Amino acid sequence: MSTRHTGTRLLLLATAVSLALGASLVSAADNSRQLPPIKVNAAKAELGKRLFFDVRLSGDAAISCASCHQPENGFGHPDALAPGYPGNKHFRNSPTLINTSYKKQWFHDGRLATNLNDVTREMITEDYLMNMDMRLMQERLKQDPIYVKMFKNAGYGEPSNGSARKAIPEYLKTLTSRNAPIDNGKLSETAQRGQSLFDGKAGCNQCHTGPLFSDGNAHNTGVAENLDIFRDPLRHQAFIAFNMFMGNENYMALKRDVGAHVQGHKADGSDKGTFMTPTLRELNSTAPYMHNGMINTLPEVVAFYNDGGGEDSNKSNRLKPLNLSASEQSDLVTFLQALSGEPLTSDAHVWNKKDYSYQLIKNWREASN
Amino acid sequence: MIMKISKHTNLLAAAMATATLLAPLSTQAAVASGTTVGSEAERGLKAALAPLKASPATQVTLNGQTYPALAPLGPVPVPPDNPMTAEKVELGKILFFDGRLGGDGSTACSACHVPDLGWDWPDNVSLGYPGTIHWRNSPTIINTGYYDKLFWAGSAKSLEAEARSAAKGAVAGNGEDDIMEARLALIPEYRQRFNAVFGDDWPKINNAWMAIAAYERTLIQRDTPLDQFLQGDKSALNESQLRGKALFDGKAGCIQCHNGPLASDQQYYNVGVPPLKRWEEDPMAQITFRYELYAKGSDETMYRSTKADPGVYFRGKMKAMKGKFRTPSLRYTKYTPPYMHNGALATLADVVDFYDRGGIASDGRSTDFAHSKSPLIKPLGLSNTEKSDLLAFLDAFTGEKILTERPAMPAYAPLFTEQELLEARK
Repeated sequence: MSTRHTGTRLLLLATAVSLALGASLVSAADNSRQLPPIKVNAAKAELGKRLFFDVRLSGDAAISCASCHQPENGFGHPDALAPGYPGNKHFRNSPTLINTSYKKQWFHDGRLATNLNDVTREMITEDYLMNMDMRLMQERLKQDPIYVKMFKNAGYGEPSNGSARKAIPEYLKTLTSRNAPIDNGKLSETAQRGQSLFDGKAGCNQCHTGPLFSDGNAHNTGVAENLDIFRDPLRHQAFIAFNMFMGNENYMALKRDVGAHVQGHKADGSDKGTFMTPTLRELNSTAPYMHNGMINTLPEVVAFYNDGGGEDSNKSNRLKPLNLSASEQSDLVTFLQALSGEPLTSDAHVWNKKDYSYQLIKNWREASN
Repeated sequence: MIMKISKHTNLLAAAMATATLLAPLSTQAAVASGTTVGSEAERGLKAALAPLKASPATQVTLNGQTYPALAPLGPVPVPPDNPMTAEKVELGKILFFDGRLGGDGSTACSACHVPDLGWDWPDNVSLGYPGTIHWRNSPTIINTGYYDKLFWAGSAKSLEAEARSAAKGAVAGNGEDDIMEARLALIPEYRQRFNAVFGDDWPKINNAWMAIAAYERTLIQRDTPLDQFLQGDKSALNESQLRGKALFDGKAGCIQCHNGPLASDQQYYNVGVPPLKRWEEDPMAQITFRYELYAKGSDETMYRSTKADPGVYFRGKMKAMKGKFRTPSLRYTKYTPPYMHNGALATLADVVDFYDRGGIASDGRSTDFAHSKSPLIKPLGLSNTEKSDLLAFLDAFTGEKILTERPAMPAYAPLFTEQELLEARK
């Protein structure tokens, strides 16, 4: 305990020093942008893959995880705001799941910081997401002989909701950036100029740090509210139910997404409108951008920051007009584009077999349930 | 808020009742759904609450036991914490047909309780939520206001509690309170109506169940040939039906459980209904069957080996309770095939044959829980004529079809004006 305490203090000290000395030191401390390899259990990941694309994991068997996290869109969704469960619509942008295994905290508001098992459970069970009673899900899985075999081969025994929540995160470990220029040393000269701006004049690396290009913290950049949340009652109802559940005050009158306020519920409200720094990997396939999809293209994102971000009473004081020239902005975009790898759209990452079915248990009277 | 309906009372009903006697409910001719308060809702209320002219409280003695005789159906009992008003009934009707009280918007109460189909679902087990099927037969809504135990295993003690459970179960409505309540808040007509009826600033989901229950208390039938006969119209039953009544009260022994005004003693019995064949033939049915065992609480051995619905067992977890279900009313059964808790019997004739065999189906199958089978169920030795007399009498428990027009569904509207949204400061 005391060792950990000392460690924290040293880290705080280091942070203070680096802030005092400016951005250049941060970049020096940040020289490794390589994602470490992850060990994956192939049998479990294969099972997780089949589950990920199976609509029977939602209450009315209409949507799968892949409905909002589509492989061809970098495991995100091309709409500004995600579709959500039938009878509802979502109020935030569907984030990429590529490299999500490296994260320590999930959702745009960072409301879960335990593990992807818990995230998986939330996604499957929440009424505006997949609205599934996992006890029923378990019995559905047991009715599919391919699952019975796959769970057994993965060492899980018979299908269970607990094992499903382990297998899906195992599959998510396979969703990592592949052969991105930032990783394979093939950054173009333009991209390298962009990288210097990223780490210097533009100051992107104040928040977009490390292999994920994310500091894992919440910030307020003043992104405009996506008012479609409130214009469409199907989105607004999910927004209301969510805010009620999260204990946000005065949820019926809310006209803005309080974001990571749910983590700390600061009395002065200064954490309202903060959102977790997203990864910058795989941007090429994951437009539109920001927690609410309010910015459509990367040049617009760069222009947004060049202007010093948007407007918000809680906006981070890190954001200042950058005075980037047009060619500097273009270089920065080229660098951002170099953070994307090959699409993960082949059979290696997508369950393309049309083999989902329920099979009758023929000797039902005698069979053990 | 917890709704506790401890005791039904007729006091309020009597106070509200008018002198109108047995006004026919919303039969086809009487249907007139309107936007003005009144019309159908008011007529329904009057019919539901009208006092009986005479209520002969007689008894039938059979094998040395006495049972409450069949009797005309009186005013519907109204719980003291959910008084009936026409406005509430009208709101309840709209909600009964509104799929937004459910998971994905597709499963209103009326999805499994279809007015044109006897206010139930014409299959052995109920339709269920999309992607599932149910595991029990959908019972008719008609006359449910008279039960003090709802669902086949009596797991709800009021219509209010029943509506809530049905809207939430994974193989029924699969709704969640928070999202259903949020939906109501974004429907201006509901905001206005919940405020007028309950004084809600924002519609409260529990009040939705109150309104639906109030509506259901108007879905009653008190003018059947049986009611007319029991109130003195001796021409209401023909000769065959009269012979059937004598069998009902005597040789066939139906009166032992199907007694009183509701033709149900609301007690739990295992009458020998066999497990549904569909569980051997339909993978979706197998899924739901295991889910129910799991979700309602079974130990490992029971979960692995049970192949029939344990019924009321889940409420007390005593072995003697396995396979028992609450006696259903015989009223309105003409329009509600198939029969029994799992719809295993297709017609009323099959039901009579089933009891005549002593609780054994035509293929020789019976309950998996032999230990709890009621000793009241024995071979009856009915002749074909006696069976047809009994069937003729059963017909007298049902009057005209009760039909209604589907109400218009109130529309969503954005809560805030564009101006309010643009003026909101971040």
